[in-house]
Order: sequence, then C-alpha cells, then structure tokens
Amino acid sequence: MSMILVEHLRKEFSYYRKATGLKGSLHNLFRREALVKEAVRDVSFSVEKGEMIALLGPNGAGKTTTLKMLSGILYPTAGKVEVGGFIPWERKDAFKRRISIVMGQKNQLWWDLPASDSFYLNKCIFGVEDSVYRQVVEELADLLDVRELMNVQVRRLSLGERMKMEILAALIHRPEILFLDEPTIGLDILSQQRIREFLKEYNEKSQTTVILTSHNMADVKALCRRAVIINQGQLVYDGSLSDVNRVLGDRRLLSVKLSEPVKAESLRRFGRVREQEETRAVLELSGSRVRETIGAMFAELPVEDFTVTEVPLEESISIFYRKEAAMP
Amino acid sequence: MNPYLCVFRMGIEKALEYRTGFVLSMASAAFPILIQTTMWNYLYANGDAARIMGYSHGQILIYTLLATLVSQLVSAGFEWEVNSDIKNGGLNKYLVRPVAYRKYCLLSVMGQKVPRFFVVGPAMAFVIGFGVWILHLPLSAVRIAVFLGSLFLAFVLNFFLFYCVALLGFWLTDVDKLFGTVSIVLTVLSGGVFPMDIFGSTLTGLFRLLPFGYTTQFCVNIANGRYGWEQIGRGVVCQIFWIAFMAALERILWRQGLKRYAAVGG
Amino acid sequence: MKKLCHYLRLLGVFAKFSLMSVLEYRINFFAGMLAEMGWMAVKLLYVAIVYRTGASIGLLTADHILLFIGTYVLMTGFFMLYFGNLASLPGMVQQGELDLYLVKPVSLQFLVTLRRLDFPFFIPNLIAGSVMIVTGWRRAGLPVTWAAVLGFLFFLACGCLLAYSLFLLPYLLAFWTVSVGGIGDLTAALWDFNNMPQLIYNKWIQRIGTFLLPVFVITNFPGLFVMGELPPGMMLWGMGVSVLFFFLSRLVFQRALKRYSSASS
Repeated sequence: MSMILVEHLRKEFSYYRKATGLKGSLHNLFRREALVKEAVRDVSFSVEKGEMIALLGPNGAGKTTTLKMLSGILYPTAGKVEVGGFIPWERKDAFKRRISIVMGQKNQLWWDLPASDSFYLNKCIFGVEDSVYRQVVEELADLLDVRELMNVQVRRLSLGERMKMEILAALIHRPEILFLDEPTIGLDILSQQRIREFLKEYNEKSQTTVILTSHNMADVKALCRRAVIINQGQLVYDGSLSDVNRVLGDRRLLSVKLSEPVKAESLRRFGRVREQEETRAVLELSGSRVRETIGAMFAELPVEDFTVTEVPLEESISIFYRKEAAMP
Repeated sequence: MNPYLCVFRMGIEKALEYRTGFVLSMASAAFPILIQTTMWNYLYANGDAARIMGYSHGQILIYTLLATLVSQLVSAGFEWEVNSDIKNGGLNKYLVRPVAYRKYCLLSVMGQKVPRFFVVGPAMAFVIGFGVWILHLPLSAVRIAVFLGSLFLAFVLNFFLFYCVALLGFWLTDVDKLFGTVSIVLTVLSGGVFPMDIFGSTLTGLFRLLPFGYTTQFCVNIANGRYGWEQIGRGVVCQIFWIAFMAALERILWRQGLKRYAAVGG
Repeated sequence: MKKLCHYLRLLGVFAKFSLMSVLEYRINFFAGMLAEMGWMAVKLLYVAIVYRTGASIGLLTADHILLFIGTYVLMTGFFMLYFGNLASLPGMVQQGELDLYLVKPVSLQFLVTLRRLDFPFFIPNLIAGSVMIVTGWRRAGLPVTWAAVLGFLFFLACGCLLAYSLFLLPYLLAFWTVSVGGIGDLTAALWDFNNMPQLIYNKWIQRIGTFLLPVFVITNFPGLFVMGELPPGMMLWGMGVSVLFFFLSRLVFQRALKRYSSASS
C-alpha cells in the first residue's frame, strides 16, 4: 500500500504586476492585472511505506510548494493527495501527529533557550508520554551525537549543530512520514555527512517514509534509490537514480591514456571529445558502442590504458533541469 | 550640488514617500486631543481647576491643540535610524565618506519636516486665529515672527537632544524599547501633552532649569500670549544656551562612542 | 475540558520559556521594565492632574477616577503580555514563518498569538494597576463584598477576552494587505481612550465606544459594576460582546488562514 499518493496535483497562485513609480501605484489602485503562476502542474507519484525518495528540481521548480501541500500547509488548486490515509489540507490532528517537516531555512527552536527546552515543548504539543519522550530523546541524541549540546542555548550552536537539533525536534513524536526540505543547506561537508548518516540509519531502523529535497547530490546519492524530478512544475522523471543515465541514452565516459599525443581529429572519429591534453583524453559515447570503440581504438591508436565510467549523476540530472518539461 | 542640500531634498522626498504614515500619525494625534479636551472639560466643570492650574478653560484647550501641533513640527523621530546605523554597522558607509554624520542627519530631518510644515502650519494659524477671536489673545506680527523663530530653535534643540539619546546606542545595545519611552517622557516633560507649569511653582521652577520645556511649552506660551517680552527674551537665551550645551555634549558622546565602535568592530 | 487543560499547560510552558528567555539578557529585562514604567508615568500624570484639580462633585470623584485608571493600567499589562505576538504577525505572514506552526496539532491561533509572553512589560503594570485599584476602591468608599470583588474580577476577565479579540482583528488584515503599519498605531491610539473613565465623555462617544467599537467595555465595566452603575442589560452586553468578538476573531483567523494556505507558494 502506498504511504503517499499524489495524483494530478496542481497549484496556482495569482499575483499582481505593478508598474514602477507613483503612477503605477495609482493605476494599481483601480485596475490590477492579475497574473496566474502555475507553481505545480499535474504532478503524480506515489511513495511506499519505508521508502526514502528524493524530490529534485531546479530553483523555483515547485519542490517546496509540493512538500507544503503534502504536509497540509498549502491548499492545492486541484488534484488528489493522500498521506498516510489522510487528506493533508484538512489538517486533522491525527494527521499532524503522523507527519513532520524540517525546512533547512526555517527554524522552530527557541533561540535563547537550550534545545532540550524546545524538545520538551514539542513533547507537550504532541502529547508524548514521559517515558516515550525520554527514550526517544536519548536514542536520537546518541544517534546524532548531540548529547552534550542539548543543554546549550541554541544561539550558541553552530549551524550544523542547530540543524541536528531541528531534526531531533521534528522527530520527538515519532512521525511515520518525514518531509525534509534541504536539510543540509549551508552546512560544511562534515556536518552534511553526519546528518546523512543519521538519516540513513534512522530510516532503516524506524521504517519512516521520507521525501527529501536537496540540491546536494551527495545527499541524494547516499540516501535515495529513487528520484522524482520536477521542472517548471511538471514531472519529468520518476524512477531509480541509477536509471537516470540510461533513460538519457546511457552515455559513458571513456578515459584513455596514450603513449604519445595524437591529433584531435583521430580521436573525434570514436566519439565526442570532452577533454584532451597531451596524452590523455576523455570521450563521450553511448553505452552500446563501448566494446567496439575500445577495440577499434586499440587497433588504431597508441592506447596504454583506459577506464569507462557512467556520466556523473549531477550532469544527467541537470539535463532534466534544462529540458522543457517532457518525459523521455 | 552641495551634498547637504542634496540630503535636504532627499529628506523632503522621503517625507512625501511615507505620506500615508504621516496622515495616520496626524490622525492618531487627533485621539489624544479628543481625550484631553474631554478631560479638561470634565475637570473644569466639576472642580476649581481654573484657580489651581492658573489657566482658564479656553487657554488650556488652546494649549492642548497648539502643543500637539508644535510637537508634530519639532519632534525628531530619526533616533531609530541612528541607533540601527550604530547597531548594524550602517555607520561605516558615512565614516568612509567625506560627510559629517550629524549634519547629514540634521538636514535629512529638516527636509522631512518641510512637507509637514505645510500641513501643520495652516492648522496652527487656524487655532491661533480661533484663540484671538474667542480668547482675545494679544497677537502682533512681531510676536508671530518670534514664535516662528522660537519654533526653529526648538527644532534644533530637540534634534540635538534626541541625537544625544540616539548616540547612547554606542554603549547600550538593543535599547529599542527604551526609545519609545524616552520619546514619550521627553514629549511630556517638554509640555507636549499638558503644560508643566500646572504642577505647582516648585516643579515649574525646576522645569525652567531643564532643557525640555524649551522645545514645546515655551513656543506655545509665546503664541498663546502667556509670556511677556522679558520672559520671551530670557527663554530664547536659554534655548540658545541649551543648543550649545547639547551640541557640545554630542561632540563628546560621538568621539567616545566612535572609539568604542571601532574597538568593538561595529 | 481535557483540551482546555492541555492548552493551559501549554500556556504555562510558554510563560516559563518566555521568562527564561528574557532572563538570559538581564539588561533587556530591566530595560523593558523601565520602558514600561516610563509609559506608566505618563498615565500617572493624568492621575496627578485629576487629584490636583480635585474633581470632587458628580458621580466621579478623583478616587473613582483612580480606580478606573488603575483598571486601565492593569489591563494594559495583560495586553502587553501578548501584544508582541500580534505585532510580529505581519512579518511572520510575509516571511512565511507560519509554516512550521501549521503542522502542529494545536490551534494555530493559540500558538501564534500567545507563544511569547512579555513579562517585563507585564510586571510593572500588574503592580501599579493593582495598587491603584485597591487605593481608589478604598478611598472612594466602595463596598468590599464578595459579590463586588468577584463581579469586578469577572468583568476584568471579560475585558481581557475582549481586548484580545478586538485588537487581534486589525493585525489579521496583514493576511490580505501584507503591511499594516499605520493601522497598528491607530488602534494603539484607540486603546488610550481608556486613560480616562468613559463617564467623562459625551453620550455619543460613550455609545460608539460601548456598542460599535467596544473599547470602553474593556476597562470600564469592572469599575462601573462596583459602583453599581452597570444595569443588568449592560452586564449582559459586557459578557455577550466579549464572547461575540472572540468568535469573530476565530472566524476571521480561519478566513485569514485559508487565504495564507491558498494564496502563497
């Protein structure tokens, strides 16, 4: 059974265009030109229980808007959403107890108090039992390695430590569904890594269903097997991360080392030359042609060594970002 | 163009930009007038107020109206900006340029007062005219000229007063809350709400020694004819003295504050 | 009932946390107190004038007026306790900061309007207001009976509810207009009408302030009740209008929220 079901989800909001200056303001007073922006148009996907998927897309693609609709913060214009059997925007308390959302750019902790106080407040808000609360906090604090920091005022914590606390605060009521909006934004590599490790472990242990948005491909690669990519409000890809490249023509990179420099033309016959310097070169070619190309190259060029890799994930995904919304 | 003239013009533009705020602040000023007028009416009807206060019923009403208008003209209202410049390091952009910060502020505020004068001025003329008609205030062209002159001095004095307060931001961080209070207390002490000489001769004597009364009460009492020429002369001298005093104090605060600002790193 | 207990407990936690936060910066705590005392001093000046001129005839003597001003000061204290939340509402709407409160299984209105409680503003008003009420009450020779005291407290409670509901409304405009700058100042000026008892105003102002924009109900009804100047019909109005406006504020809040959820991105 799907934990999250999204069908033909749409979100439009209207805004007004204002000409600059006083004249524009006066004009606005009487006639306003309403413009409609379609933030999300016709997005459908589903997530199974315990699954952790990445929701990807360039800035302004509608990721955050989608997450907000899934967590009940925003009403959609049209479409159907079921999260844990609830319609999010009805905002039933029972629904709110089952979900949680962490936004990398917003905080819910009390700035001047230790994080443990904010945890306690969440315990009260969600009505978590004392014993359960203590156990959850202990367990999570150990996992996140923040036991000593819980009694330090939030404003004295580093950005990374604060984010860990935000995540901990969001998990006090043991949500079954977790929405993470750029949880590692602005953090250093070490903090990012820690949070990734935590999320992986937590997901495996608790079987929490997670939707993650991030611009950080390291997060995505480490945590998610599946990705949903949206661009300009439309779904452009839904499938496993490892298939992203295959869908785009399964391109490979062939790096060769030559014993002596060769002319660019002689390389170009085998594929698109992406780099060439002295005796090294990188060629791009489709996966099906790798075998024959290598054979031909050995016959014609002074090849010493070679390696074949897939096109980096970032690159494949960026192609989706550029594309005018169309499923290949 | 002279940079300060430019600042002055920018001040005027700024005031026009925030005209809704200005209209609302004028409208908000109508409420206290209504409240005070009602209070005076009640107190004069139900007690021996006239004898105790030394103001006739008509005089006190004219005072209330005029004082509110004068406060609108001489009030500063720039102390927040100075304070936030100090707190958030906005001061840096003035320090690296060949301009004097206090002159910059003064001209900007002066510019902002210009549009206000065109609204408050006629209202003031109306109130004074009304006073002459009903209360037979002694009014002459010279008195009006002196009144306008005293208004200008009051504005400058008030500017330095609040400038000094704003400079305290070098030492106290996050005193936003105090500012509102300081400004209301100073307004009251200046006689912007009631004349302070109704609180007995001891307090009246005390207030005569303090700078505050010279920003509002003094001006109003010129216009409503309570002060004779001798008192007016003495008052103007006091205004000038206090301006010089505050300007000197401001120099000291500024120099010391800047040292601290540099030390803390802004 | 269980729900009410839950909310009261949460309010307790908010109060505790607010106090703890503000005590983190001791200077700010005292600066806040000092600031509020400055405002109070201005209100006390009115008392001084009243006593100096010694209005002694009519229904209201200076002592009665003291009782009313005391009620006003106390009520200002209660209002200032949560006013900061109302003032920050437009900013929160603009920055989309309501998001994280929306996913909590607690009334959003409760969370947003009572989250932070400003004790430095509350304490001086509580003390001064109480002292003024007790002094005015005794000097005016008003009855000290259970009925009078309980009635006073009851209308004080109604006043609190009404003040909350009535003054929340202008700030809810922020959901539609984004900025409410001047409107806030204007309503604050409205609040000051209670600086003097309603009885000194003329009939029409009294009627407007009682029925149309019921600001007078907030601080005058407790005193009027003790003076025996509150007819039964008015007592009913005092209760009714508080409940009415409370539900109105709930209604408008729901509408505002709907707008937030459908208009923003």
